[in-house]
Amino acid sequence: MVDATSLSEPELTESRPRGGRLATLFRRSESLRGYALLSPTLAVMALAMCAPTAMMVALSFWVQSGFDITMTFTLDNYAKVFTNPIFEALFLRTLMISGTCALATVLISYPMAYYVAFHVHRRKLAWVIMMTLPFWTSYLLRVFSWKVVLGYNGAINSGLMSLGLISEPLEFLLYSPEAVIITLAHAWAAFAILPIYVSLEKIDRSLLEAAADLGDGAVARFLRITLPLSMPGVIAALLLIFIPTFGDFVTPALVGGPDGMMLANIVQKMFGKLNDWPLGSALAISMMIIVSIMCGGLIWVTRQIKERAI
Amino acid sequence: MQIKDKVKAFHDGALSRRDMLNGLAAIGVGVAMAPILPRTARAAGSDAIYFTWGGYDIPDLFKPYIEKHGEAPSFATFGGSEEGLTKMRAGYVVDVSHPCNQAVPRWVATGLFQTADPSRLSNWSDVIPSLYELEGNMADGRPYMVPMEWGQTSVTYRTDLVDLQGEPESWGILWDERYKGRLGSLASAADAWWVGAIYAGVDFENMASDEAFEKIAAVMREQRPLIRTYTDETTSLEQALASGEMVAAMTWNESAAALKNQGLPVKFAAPKEGALTWVCGAMIHKEAPNIDLAHDIIDSLISTDTGKFLIGEYGYGHSNAKSFEAFSEEDLAAKGLSSNPNDILAAGKFQIPQSQEFETRMNQEFENIKAGF
Repeated sequence: MVDATSLSEPELTESRPRGGRLATLFRRSESLRGYALLSPTLAVMALAMCAPTAMMVALSFWVQSGFDITMTFTLDNYAKVFTNPIFEALFLRTLMISGTCALATVLISYPMAYYVAFHVHRRKLAWVIMMTLPFWTSYLLRVFSWKVVLGYNGAINSGLMSLGLISEPLEFLLYSPEAVIITLAHAWAAFAILPIYVSLEKIDRSLLEAAADLGDGAVARFLRITLPLSMPGVIAALLLIFIPTFGDFVTPALVGGPDGMMLANIVQKMFGKLNDWPLGSALAISMMIIVSIMCGGLIWVTRQIKERAI
Repeated sequence: MQIKDKVKAFHDGALSRRDMLNGLAAIGVGVAMAPILPRTARAAGSDAIYFTWGGYDIPDLFKPYIEKHGEAPSFATFGGSEEGLTKMRAGYVVDVSHPCNQAVPRWVATGLFQTADPSRLSNWSDVIPSLYELEGNMADGRPYMVPMEWGQTSVTYRTDLVDLQGEPESWGILWDERYKGRLGSLASAADAWWVGAIYAGVDFENMASDEAFEKIAAVMREQRPLIRTYTDETTSLEQALASGEMVAAMTWNESAAALKNQGLPVKFAAPKEGALTWVCGAMIHKEAPNIDLAHDIIDSLISTDTGKFLIGEYGYGHSNAKSFEAFSEEDLAAKGLSSNPNDILAAGKFQIPQSQEFETRMNQEFENIKAGF
């Protein structure tokens, strides 16, 4: 792209001198044209992402007093976020829940994606669409159906009871951190299947043949070729699930019970009945920064490993 | 191209890109228009918003309103009135909302509300005066909150699963180790914290003192490991009680009445320590866009039609004295009601308005406790 413009630039300006200065600039500058093409997206981003985030940042340095917000600069909110033990405990719990959920989802999704990528030869698209079926119903509806499945008189408990495997319904199934993990893992499965499937699909099959010719068995082939080459998909899936579930509050609110509360539930309450928007903002921003650091770290580590491997 | 042909062409892989895009565009336009169409079709009718608790968003409370305007007002719901207040403070303008007596002075202090005009309420003369002559409610003979329903927060328990062992009913059921993991509670401190006060033996007059605060926090902490879930959805508690997942839960009259109407063996306790009692009602937003409709909403809420429904179906007391005429004293007593609200309200522990500082402190502490601290 860059070569093409540098070649055509002088030609353009010399052969077509008409038009105002702005038009000339526009024609000459590759990046300006790029921004012009991006402008609708940029406008939406500025309005719907940057402005609210900026407001949150500002809010997090102010103080709530009664019904009003006093606009005096303070770091108190951040001090509270990092010293109050409740936030630390909730942070660790949230990390545990969304981390487990991301790992579990990837583990469950990998075989599905693998099967479709390697063993399905006809109507692949239909298979992929079938695997994303859960996404055809609303998120809330899926959470409620899990409530029905996991409930005291739910599908699992009544099934196990009628088989005579248990005499009392299992109570940990609902209103527990486990319930949150199960519900989230199912809800986000498609976000793991699709990137993993794409990275598996891209693998050059001749590499596998070569490995087989050189004497590798099925397991060694998988570990030495398939898995490393599908790592980009796996990492993408981990991030795609970890980031949004870290901030999820609907699922824990509905199936979490008192022990399944996550950080985002507290943030939501800060903006609701706890009536402390600045502290809520500080908490939300801290969450955002911590998650960014963790994800950046993960990407850095995988890059290091990759470079060393090469 | 007919739809059928298109589907067939798509199936055969013979659909041209242009046809495909045309089809997609048509679907897109259709989907985008869907939410707009019913709205414009409805614009001629009423569009006043009643912002209320889930469960009050039903046409049964608006018979006179529907007769007059053809349909019920629009509803928006909140899980707890504090949540509702926060939304309105953030700029959500409604016509009428639904606070309870202990919140009235704080709601009024926000400056977001205006008094109702009794001369525009045809049923005003039948409203029981003791229900609106509350602390901070009247200004120049006009009420901020027009009382609608009154009732209790108490324990609904399964008579077949809870063994009282000959003792009188008590709030202690919700602190009973034997039922660990099978007890439920409302999630809002506006109920739970006050119940804690009753259980801890705190006088409501001293509610805000530090000593009382610690005492209540201690009993709430003691209760937390026993509770299966804290929720604002009464339906969740009702379902759990119906299935036997929970044996007892803190509820309002409504849940007990609903379960009883389904023939389940439940009882709405009359705890020996006293139930928590309250009066709730309708308040008009200062910038209510439909002030006439707002008064019609309120007039409908305090009508005898609504009263009979609330007493019969939800088991709440009503503010209109005439609503009770359809029920015998025995009927009412069985529901834990009386045609003289003072009998019930004074026998229980009636909530007292508190300062915003107290409210914030209470909510924060209760959230901490619920989260396990």
